[in-house]
Amino acid sequence: MNDKTKTKTSSISKDKKIEKLVFWLFLAPALFSFLMVQIIPFMIGIYYSFTNWSATAQISIDFVGMKNYFDAFQDPSFLYATIITSIYTFMNIILVNIIAFSLALLVTSNLKGKNIYRAGFFLPNIIGGIILGYIWQFIFNQFVPKLAAAVGFTYLSENLMLGNSNTAILALVIVSTWQYAGYIMMIYVAALQNVPKDLLEAAQIDGASAWQRFRNVTIPLVAPAFTVTLFLTLVNSFKQFDVNASLTNGGPSTMFMGKAIKGTTLLAMNINDTSIISLNTAQAQAKAIVFFLVLVTFSLIQVYVSKKREVEL
Amino acid sequence: MKKIIVFISMLLVLVSLTACAPKEAEQVVITFKQNKPEIDDALQAYAKAYEAATGVKVNAVSCGGGSCTLGDMLKADYAAGEMPDIFPIDGPDSYKQWEAIIADLSGEDWVDETSVEYVVDGKVVGFPVAVEGWGMAYNADLLAKAGIDPKTLTNYAAYMDAFVKLDGMKAELGIDSVVSMTAGPGMYWVTAHHNFNSLLSNGLEYNDLTVANNILAGNIDDTRLNEYADWVDLLFKYADKTVLTTGNYDSQVGAFLNQKAVFLHQGNWVDGNLTDATFKMAFAPHGSSTSDTDGIFVSAPAWYVVNKDSKNYQAALDFLNALVYSDLGQKYMVEDAGMIPAFGNISLQPKGQLSQSVQAWTAEGKVYSWNQYLFAGEFRDNVLGPIYDQLAQGAVTADEFKALLKTALMEAK
Repeated sequence: MNDKTKTKTSSISKDKKIEKLVFWLFLAPALFSFLMVQIIPFMIGIYYSFTNWSATAQISIDFVGMKNYFDAFQDPSFLYATIITSIYTFMNIILVNIIAFSLALLVTSNLKGKNIYRAGFFLPNIIGGIILGYIWQFIFNQFVPKLAAAVGFTYLSENLMLGNSNTAILALVIVSTWQYAGYIMMIYVAALQNVPKDLLEAAQIDGASAWQRFRNVTIPLVAPAFTVTLFLTLVNSFKQFDVNASLTNGGPSTMFMGKAIKGTTLLAMNINDTSIISLNTAQAQAKAIVFFLVLVTFSLIQVYVSKKREVEL
Repeated sequence: MKKIIVFISMLLVLVSLTACAPKEAEQVVITFKQNKPEIDDALQAYAKAYEAATGVKVNAVSCGGGSCTLGDMLKADYAAGEMPDIFPIDGPDSYKQWEAIIADLSGEDWVDETSVEYVVDGKVVGFPVAVEGWGMAYNADLLAKAGIDPKTLTNYAAYMDAFVKLDGMKAELGIDSVVSMTAGPGMYWVTAHHNFNSLLSNGLEYNDLTVANNILAGNIDDTRLNEYADWVDLLFKYADKTVLTTGNYDSQVGAFLNQKAVFLHQGNWVDGNLTDATFKMAFAPHGSSTSDTDGIFVSAPAWYVVNKDSKNYQAALDFLNALVYSDLGQKYMVEDAGMIPAFGNISLQPKGQLSQSVQAWTAEGKVYSWNQYLFAGEFRDNVLGPIYDQLAQGAVTADEFKALLKTALMEAK
């Protein structure tokens, strides 16, 4: 630092102040909308979960303490939804990522027309989940049985995929993989293209086999992408609603704790049912808060674990 | 230069804001929400005609079917302070939700013209939207071909014989199954709402609630329950498995329309989907009992209620009156929307064959009431629906189904 800059400090601090003001002014609209449509409704939601709020014409909203939370945990359908959502999420994370990564490897190799493949694999992601659900409903109900009958695979022609809750969950996994794998693939493609060629060549010169290059160079370098994709698939599978609603509508039923219960109702749909069918808006709100906490916990653990595996170049 | 731009843009914002403000004298506008998307075209045309005739603008909104849930919309409207002036309720569940703002309509003229108005504690609060009925819709041509007289179909044994006979003539009649029935996800209203009502009201006097009240009190008539469960089992056994377990409304009604099934377990609202039908059809009673039950289930499916806090309360009442007493309103309800009028002074007839069948049964007085509304929607959708679904999938036997049904009913509230 020389003398010249010292004399300028006062004007710099004034510039800084204006800069700060401009910064906050530019931020203000975004901050304002974030506050209005995210933070405040979220706080109100937390408040409602402790009351008997019904969202309809009622005389007063009374504070009921933890009642909604206790009721939610005693509801077998909520317990079942939590279990089935965890199973669904687990299967979905594995399947989506394996398929997406394989596709990414395929479309980054020296394949002819790979851009067409990239677009093609990505396309299902652009179709809305509701429409997708109806299309696949037709495939599972009409096409699969006929195809199975034609090739002589009688199990599938006599038992409909959507007619039994175990296979219906599988059907959900298939459809959401079909929808989501292309999107995740794009993230892997970007990561794979960023793997420096010189490192791979250096490894090759050192005598590493194709598998060793893949295992010890490519995989560690795309680890940051795994953090992102695992996070995205985890959160998206957990929040699954639209395909669930249009493909299986929460059914078919199954037996759970001695009672017939809707067999493919995932958590988001269970919350929706609590509000729409049971007309218990406050309890639905409490379930949503529990859902939020579970999701945050799972995703923080996942990000923490995945981050540890990343390497810096 | 910059300042000028800022000034001009502020001016523009101001001008556009004032442009939004109403200029002309206040026109009376009533907001009318209803839950039958299939009659929306007719309704919009009527709203225009009504405005031309009376000067009152009707802001008519239809919300229903798979894409829109009226209950949600009303909650949002209420939260926004824009509760409609007229909206429908479909039973005790939705009445309780809006009880605080529903007006007492006992003094209205139309009350004397109908027998299916919504009454709470002696007060008339709901204007019947229409009359609807369900039973076993049958394809009269196919039954004639098989030599079965629909008039004999009044009890379990008669249905059993008819089903066995029809099942043996599948190839001859070109059908896939005898009955078009659904019990899968999203269709629980067919089983747990409509079919369930056979247990509660079939064969009883109109509005006789003894069976329903006994169940709610924990006294279950085992004979009646067993006969009913046999009836459900019979329907499922002779239904197409794909339609039964995974079908939706379209596939169920489609099978009947394409003459792939002789019977359809639905109500007269399917008329709108059956305009292309080339065969004769009508309703037969349900066979949920070994003794004769000669009648079908008829009532109002929903009632319009008036928001008592409405600024345009009188205009809302006038709107409802015009439906009953003006030629325009009558024509809209019966001819354009195809509904069966719930009012005695209206002589027009709907065109649909099944609607006419409902009218014929009503004229003979052979009707049973809808008592399923005594059970909460949650109970029917979340508890009963999955039980029927289990039987439909073949996951439980008929006896297990009876046991599950009984346990559930014992816990019914």
